[in-house]
Amino acid sequence: MIIVKCLLAFALAALLCGCETVQPWERGTLAREDMAWEGDIMEGAIRSQIHASKEASSGGSGAAGGGCGCN
Amino acid sequence: MATSNTKKNTTLLALTSSALMLPGYEGALADAAPAFAEMGVRYSKYEEDDSKNSNTFGASSERYDIDVAQFHLLAPVSNNWSIALDVQWEDMSGASPWFVGESTPGEPKIIMSGASIEDTRTDVSVTTRYYYDRGNAGFSYARSDEDDYKSDAISLDGAFNSADGMRTYSGALSASADDIEPTQGSVPTNTLKDHKDIRSAWIGVSQIISKRAIVRFGLGYTYREGFLTDPYKFRDKRPDERNEWTVSAGYRHFFVDANAAVHADYRYFDDDWGIESHTVEVAWHQDIGDHSRVIPFVRYYTQDQADFFANQANLNDTYFADDFRLSAFGALSGGLRVKHEIGNWSVNLTGERYESSESWGLYNGDESPALVDYWRYSIGLDYTFK
Repeated sequence: MIIVKCLLAFALAALLCGCETVQPWERGTLAREDMAWEGDIMEGAIRSQIHASKEASSGGSGAAGGGCGCN
Repeated sequence: MATSNTKKNTTLLALTSSALMLPGYEGALADAAPAFAEMGVRYSKYEEDDSKNSNTFGASSERYDIDVAQFHLLAPVSNNWSIALDVQWEDMSGASPWFVGESTPGEPKIIMSGASIEDTRTDVSVTTRYYYDRGNAGFSYARSDEDDYKSDAISLDGAFNSADGMRTYSGALSASADDIEPTQGSVPTNTLKDHKDIRSAWIGVSQIISKRAIVRFGLGYTYREGFLTDPYKFRDKRPDERNEWTVSAGYRHFFVDANAAVHADYRYFDDDWGIESHTVEVAWHQDIGDHSRVIPFVRYYTQDQADFFANQANLNDTYFADDFRLSAFGALSGGLRVKHEIGNWSVNLTGERYESSESWGLYNGDESPALVDYWRYSIGLDYTFK
């Protein structure tokens, strides 16, 4: 739980800090495809499914959706 | 005057171009419908290593092999709407651990399910998304169909940008109804027919922290209720409720000199079955020239065991399971993706190796003899209708 508390503290700091103001016309780099949160949709789907069926954890990047009988 | 107009036009062009690119920093959830339709196909091969002689009663046994085909289509419907169709077909064969026994005291070995299991799965999802000035909202329906498992799920998600565009708030809700009807074959099953429901919620906030870096935090909650026991495991009886929580963080940073972006993601998971886990993943997106990209990636995962897990499950307990997925272990995986663009086409290749061991985990527990190692390979083609 220490890690979670540190993470939440860091999140709060990052969101409240005086981050560098980036004007709209300066956001070209942030708009690059290789800066996306979820990159290749199909690659992400198959990896999430495999991990969820071989490990006891899932989620973290959205709502869970439906299940499958994947063993 | 002409010079002034040219300067204004250049500035306007720069502003317009930037505005058009703005949605990208929200990743897949852009604030404008895609300008062009895009389509992609993938074929993947998933191969688990055979169970080892030393861990198995009898000879080593083949485990699962799965062939997966995927199709993705995203198309603009108007300036403010898009629709997406995703289809996934799977063809699975092989055997899975049935239960864990002991050859001599303290030496657990797995008994495999014997005859090869054959199954197919088709997953279809349709998503429609509305884009507005400061965000977007999507609705999705998904249907998964297997011989022994059917699931219907709906989900809603949305994103809202702050006035200065420096911060984006996101949220998602989903609900599913799943029916389980195990195939009757060579092993007895824990139920003939049953049902479970899944409800899930997630909220996130992303913040631009510089011209080249952005960070995101998320909180998730999932509630599962119904038949959560594995229908095919011999010694398996689980609670009929499960509450799960996740805390996650992500970071993206672009290095101009290297022409590369680093992705770093962390997830903490906790539930009321006693399972706690940590996942760390790092990927390096390296551009090579104007048309190629290589992406090496590594992932570390570690989990604690469920309260009711034991290699020698006590059938007199209220709940029990010897399923390796509920044991304490650590897993390391890594791989390489390569992407190359040729006109409106792009070719994608991926190779990944995953290995797990109890000794690699941060948590102590009984080492399951059934832990899985696997290879995965993918090849795909994408096309943009420009």
